Amino acid sequence: MDDELLSLEAELKNLRPAAPSARLAGKVERALAEPAPVAFTPAPAVIVRRPSRAWWLYASALPVAAAVTFLLVVTARRTPPARAEAVAVAEPAAPMFKPVAAENVLYAVRDEGLVTLDDGTAARRERLQYVDTITWRNPRTNASVRWTVPREEVRVVPVKFQ
Amino acid sequence: MEDDATHNDPWKSWFQLYGPKLLLCARQWTRSLADAEDVVQEAFVRFWRHQRDLPGEPMALLITSVRRAALDLARRESRRTAREEFADGGLEDNPPLFQITLEQDDRRDAIEAALRLLPEEQREVLVLKIWGELTFDQIAQQLAIPANTAASRYRYALAALRQALTAADCHG
Repeated sequence: MDDELLSLEAELKNLRPAAPSARLAGKVERALAEPAPVAFTPAPAVIVRRPSRAWWLYASALPVAAAVTFLLVVTARRTPPARAEAVAVAEPAAPMFKPVAAENVLYAVRDEGLVTLDDGTAARRERLQYVDTITWRNPRTNASVRWTVPREEVRVVPVKFQ
Repeated sequence: MEDDATHNDPWKSWFQLYGPKLLLCARQWTRSLADAEDVVQEAFVRFWRHQRDLPGEPMALLITSVRRAALDLARRESRRTAREEFADGGLEDNPPLFQITLEQDDRRDAIEAALRLLPEEQREVLVLKIWGELTFDQIAQQLAIPANTAASRYRYALAALRQALTAADCHG
């Protein structure tokens, strides 16, 4: 920018925006004096969760995770006492595994078309399939455990015809 | 007395500091000063209750909240949904945008008049940069545009302001 624009920019920065009215400050004060409303997130009308057909595939991750955890515990117990003490002094309160990541992957959405609810209103039904993965990590050994589970959501969204 | 009140109510010092800037930003996205005040109220109360302990720049959070409240208001009232369509009313009100000072009132009037004539997309970038004190990256996030576009609009806005002010000077 040239000097003229820079000086104009500086001049603009010197202008102070007009202050809000006393009426606005009063409204803010009254609003803050009221108890905060409970946070509410509108949810879809119906959510049905059920295991996926391939649940056994994902469920097999559980025994694997348990086995890894068991091996890590055994390994930790076999650590020479002197070294264990040194580690304990360095990080006395550190938990063994900490959750470090969580992700939800939406891998399929199926529109199941229009349905009629009990009260007669029309709605659109969608089936969403997720894989949720949570990862824990041991900060001392850098070992990690990952837990993966399938999740299926059925959303029924009211439809308005115009 | 007012100082005591401000000291006792921390929100008041925040509101004194950020309120004027927020109101000016809100006027970019609302149709009247009254709407802009409603939007600032909603955004500030939301920020104070739920967001003031969040990390990051308070002004950026507050402006995000103001913009969201302005969009919500526009949708609620079924006026217009596109930002470009509804962001023209606040500045059409007569109340001045800036504090009135005893000196250089003519110059301030000329700047306000030139500002009101700017294209909306340039004016909102200029306001967010100068008085909202946002970076181009933050403006880009607010407006969902590339940062380079925000920077270009800012330069165009300054150039257009300079041209308008020069013309105003020439015509006395």
